[in-house]
Amino acid sequence: MTQVLAPVSGQVHPLSVVADEIFSSEMVGSGVCLRPGPDPQTAVAPVDGELVQIHPHAFVVSNRGRGVLVHLGVDTVKLLGEGFEKLAAKGDQVTQGQPLIRWNPAGVETQGYPSDVIVCVLDTPPGSIATKSVGTAVNTGDLLFELPDSLEARR
Amino acid sequence: MIERTVTVQHREGLHARPAALFVQTAKASGLPVAIAREGEEAVDATSILSVMQIGIRQGDTVTISVEGNGAEDALDALVQQLEQS
Repeated sequence: MTQVLAPVSGQVHPLSVVADEIFSSEMVGSGVCLRPGPDPQTAVAPVDGELVQIHPHAFVVSNRGRGVLVHLGVDTVKLLGEGFEKLAAKGDQVTQGQPLIRWNPAGVETQGYPSDVIVCVLDTPPGSIATKSVGTAVNTGDLLFELPDSLEARR
Repeated sequence: MIERTVTVQHREGLHARPAALFVQTAKASGLPVAIAREGEEAVDATSILSVMQIGIRQGDTVTISVEGNGAEDALDALVQQLEQS
């Protein structure tokens, strides 16, 4: 059982609230949506592992063959990195809680994009993550959900 | 096994949305599908993790390979997705 920590602070919602059907249908993977407050904050690694991908607005940490995607805002690829600062590089070994991207949710909203943060476990079937934290508010580094052993290490 | 080489047209590269759609098409074929960027090792195209890890950008040349019955149709669908901008 791997604990997945909240990469940002915010209100926890089901992924179904996200205004992008790729995420709301859990096609990318099962998980939750975090609605952050407006203040600038730093997104941290939700699990230990290899930072297999990092863009200004999103990153993936792979833990024992499972990738946890953190996507800051919806459609924010279109901001081309403006308002985001990467604090680590692709290929880095990272530890839970390590700062990875500084960003400003209010700035994202001002540019016309939702600041919803998607946290999902790649390649897991819809509904496969038990999301007891939905309906609560979490701080950065709080337990967000657990990754059952049955979902670990696809390989 | 059949394969085809294409140039990726998506303006922001194969970010979350096009990557997820591409992987869904690969999975829907029910066949083993691999994708490789020019000069790199092929990875499993039915894994979003693997496809996101490559981080394919606009203008990248990639080779898709498919094996089995219906590979031609599957390849057509996959190539079409990468050639959309």
